[in-house]
Amino acid sequence: MSPIVRRFAEFLHDLQQLDRTAARGDAILACFTRHTPFASGAVYLRERDASLRLAAKTQQFIAPEILDREPPSELIAGTDRVLVPLRSGREHLGVLALTGGEYSEEDLEVLRAGAAFVAIVIANQRLSQEAREGDFQLKYRLWELESLYDIGLSIAGTLNIDELADEVLFRMISLINARRAALFLRDGDGFKPYRAFGDVPIGVSDLQQLLETGKAISLEAGTVVAVPVNGNNQIIGVLVAADRETREGIGAFEPNELRLLSLFANQVGIALENARLHREALQKQAMEHEFELAATIQRDILPKSIPHIEKVQIAALSRPAKQVGGDYHAFFERENGVAMLVADVSGKSMPAALLVSALHAAVQLLVREGRELGEVATELNRHIHRWSAENKFITFIIASIDREAETLEFVNAGHNPGYVLCDGRLDTLKSHGLPIGMLAQSKYMTQTRPFPNGSTVILYSDGITEAENEAEQEFGNDRLEDLLRTSCTASELRDRIAAAVDAFVGSAPQHDDQTLVIARSL
Amino acid sequence: MTEELKVAVERKPHGAVLYTKGYINNVGGEEIANRAYELMDDGVRTLLLNLRETKIVNSIGISILIEIIEKMMDQGGKIAFCCLTPVIHKTFQIMGLANYASIFDSEEAAAKELGL
Repeated sequence: MSPIVRRFAEFLHDLQQLDRTAARGDAILACFTRHTPFASGAVYLRERDASLRLAAKTQQFIAPEILDREPPSELIAGTDRVLVPLRSGREHLGVLALTGGEYSEEDLEVLRAGAAFVAIVIANQRLSQEAREGDFQLKYRLWELESLYDIGLSIAGTLNIDELADEVLFRMISLINARRAALFLRDGDGFKPYRAFGDVPIGVSDLQQLLETGKAISLEAGTVVAVPVNGNNQIIGVLVAADRETREGIGAFEPNELRLLSLFANQVGIALENARLHREALQKQAMEHEFELAATIQRDILPKSIPHIEKVQIAALSRPAKQVGGDYHAFFERENGVAMLVADVSGKSMPAALLVSALHAAVQLLVREGRELGEVATELNRHIHRWSAENKFITFIIASIDREAETLEFVNAGHNPGYVLCDGRLDTLKSHGLPIGMLAQSKYMTQTRPFPNGSTVILYSDGITEAENEAEQEFGNDRLEDLLRTSCTASELRDRIAAAVDAFVGSAPQHDDQTLVIARSL
Repeated sequence: MTEELKVAVERKPHGAVLYTKGYINNVGGEEIANRAYELMDDGVRTLLLNLRETKIVNSIGISILIEIIEKMMDQGGKIAFCCLTPVIHKTFQIMGLANYASIFDSEEAAAKELGL
């Protein structure tokens, strides 16, 4: 083998090594300075933007002007340097500048062949790199689509709002390569931060602008974007992303990323609405359960039957509203007659039911001990005031018929006036004290009035007189009093009142408990 | 939550485990790469990345992980991942990482299979 062929074979062997590793500038230059007479030089490679970049050079080589020139199409052999183009087909890939040695024509041929080989290696590696990047981008787009689909499934199935917020943030950050992000939720006329990943530079006025326009906003030269989250025909939140990441650092978000974020926000809106509806359904379920319990408590403590008292007709009506209220009534057999009471506890639902329960226990104990009515009411007041919440009280009327004395004793603590019908005359049993439980020091005195046999006493709750029809008019005391003046038995009177109230109300819903107690001394 | 990634290294008799905590993005990815390359320079040829405390990874982070895998493969070594969240697992599958690196459910299973 001739020396030139051997030299070229060794050169080619080294050049082939470039194909196995990245064809870096320093490796290329090392091959050429090792196998040609040139001791120093530089390699310039074309970038993707077509500019020429110094990729490597030996220490002694100084030739910055090459960067300003178009690379030569053919090898240029000067007295002090040689410029060898790196070309693959029509593509200019760079230029090799060599200096520092005497050369022959054969050396130039070796240079041309070596440069052609290197150019093919560089072109192949670039093609391979572009193919890999294209493949990565393709997979990345597929991943974006899959992510949007997954997000829809995942966040729509997440009904816990805290978990949902975390999921939303993580997905959003990944999806648009954000470095920081936050989820704001609607709070009255503005927004409150709900979850954040890092600090997000967005102000109240920015969010207000988004609320007013309903459109996405871009801040800080596009490095911060915010998109509205719509749900239930209004903006229910805002997604904010900051600092789009690139390999080199951070930058502004691109329009397609803003579109992607808006698509994502649509999914989030649906998910947030689902979570809200789910939460409301759970609350409703809990409330219904509470109503059921309250209704059960009340049903269990109300009289299940009317007591049979000699020569006294008794009738009662108890119609709880759908939303459990706090009406209570009771009867007590007494030595010469009967006592009855109607009470209305403030509030609704379980708290009211519990207070009714406390009232029931206390009043049963006090009345059955044989205490007189004023004392019953006073003790009851002390007890309820001590054990119930500050804003809880009970309007209360209790009346006791003494057939032998032909009197009616009563106490009315802030309740609607009861009625006494005596010889065609209708009198009222007016309130003479504060409701039970309102003031610790309240004392109640028993009121006594004549109650000749043949008289009727009527106690009721405001659910009767304040029953509303569809025009929001109340049944009122006048209609009740007209009915009371008619002559009939206690049961007939109860039924007439019930029928009159029903006829008046029509299809309007019942808002309050209706309680009516009637006793007629024969 | 924080955007900063923390990496811990545990050397094993026949390799090493990298534990990541936080966001694998460009900064986090570079941090992993630096630690991985240090280990490779130190002769480690079997590397397990335990991503138990990482919930987010973005495309920049993925591209850096691919580079680490390629570099390790060039050196005749292998990289595996374990303890991925379902979202990250799916991401790795779609982005092709699963073609070049094994994925395990637990560190124990990975250590056994890799012979760490």
